[in-house]
Amino acid sequence: MTSGQNRWTLALTALVLIAMFVAIWMVFQYVPNERVMGPVQKIFYFHVPAAMITFLSVFLLMASSITYLWTRNQRWDRISLASTEIGLMFCTLVLVTGPIWAKAAWGVWWTWEARLTTTLILWLLLAGCLMVRGYAQNQDLGARLASVLGVIAALDVVIVYKAVHWWRGQHPIVFKSGEKNPLAPEMYTTFMYCIGVFMALFLLMMILRVTVLALENRTQALAERRTGELS
Amino acid sequence: MKNFDFLFWAYNVIWLGIGGYIVFLVLRLKAVSERLQRLEKSSGD
Repeated sequence: MTSGQNRWTLALTALVLIAMFVAIWMVFQYVPNERVMGPVQKIFYFHVPAAMITFLSVFLLMASSITYLWTRNQRWDRISLASTEIGLMFCTLVLVTGPIWAKAAWGVWWTWEARLTTTLILWLLLAGCLMVRGYAQNQDLGARLASVLGVIAALDVVIVYKAVHWWRGQHPIVFKSGEKNPLAPEMYTTFMYCIGVFMALFLLMMILRVTVLALENRTQALAERRTGELS
Repeated sequence: MKNFDFLFWAYNVIWLGIGGYIVFLVLRLKAVSERLQRLEKSSGD
């Protein structure tokens, strides 16, 4: 990584960290409380963008996994690994924030409702992607197995999204197709801002993680070559 | 808002966790870049 790229990365990191604090301020100070649910509705501003980024990560995971299986180019495997880790992190965020809202709205932390259950399956699939990499006999086998699991995870995303329509679960649907936006202007602005912050976070994390993986691979290759030369 | 202090703190902890992960990545990037530079330098010697 050149010093120019380093400067850009640091600037983007600082910008995203500031944007994160502005998002907290907007959610807790700027946006009004929802009439029926009160302050607990504020979970929506982080829960939904986190779910969107989880879906985005998994679709990137699927695209990079298929491309890796096709080309066996390590670059695609690095993108696949980075999107798995980041997707798992955001999926964890969804599974943590959801029950906080559910306890206040439904009176229980968890219920085996279709969307919740399929989201938990998605989390397990993403964790599985990382585990097979760690437990496989060699790196190539681990990458191939993780790629196959990555494609299955993407299929599960479709089920997560359609679950509330197919099985009519308890999970609320805020934006219904063909219907007017139900949010007040401040709520909509905050929601869109939070989506922007989460997108920037995702972009930053992807850049950083893929760069770290690329440098680690290069360092490992160089260190192995040095050991070979010395022995 | 008093009754929802836990909500506020839960979110701050989550954001701090995300911020912490980014800081970890930046530090890891710095450490790997330095190690690679050292290796490249010593390979050139």
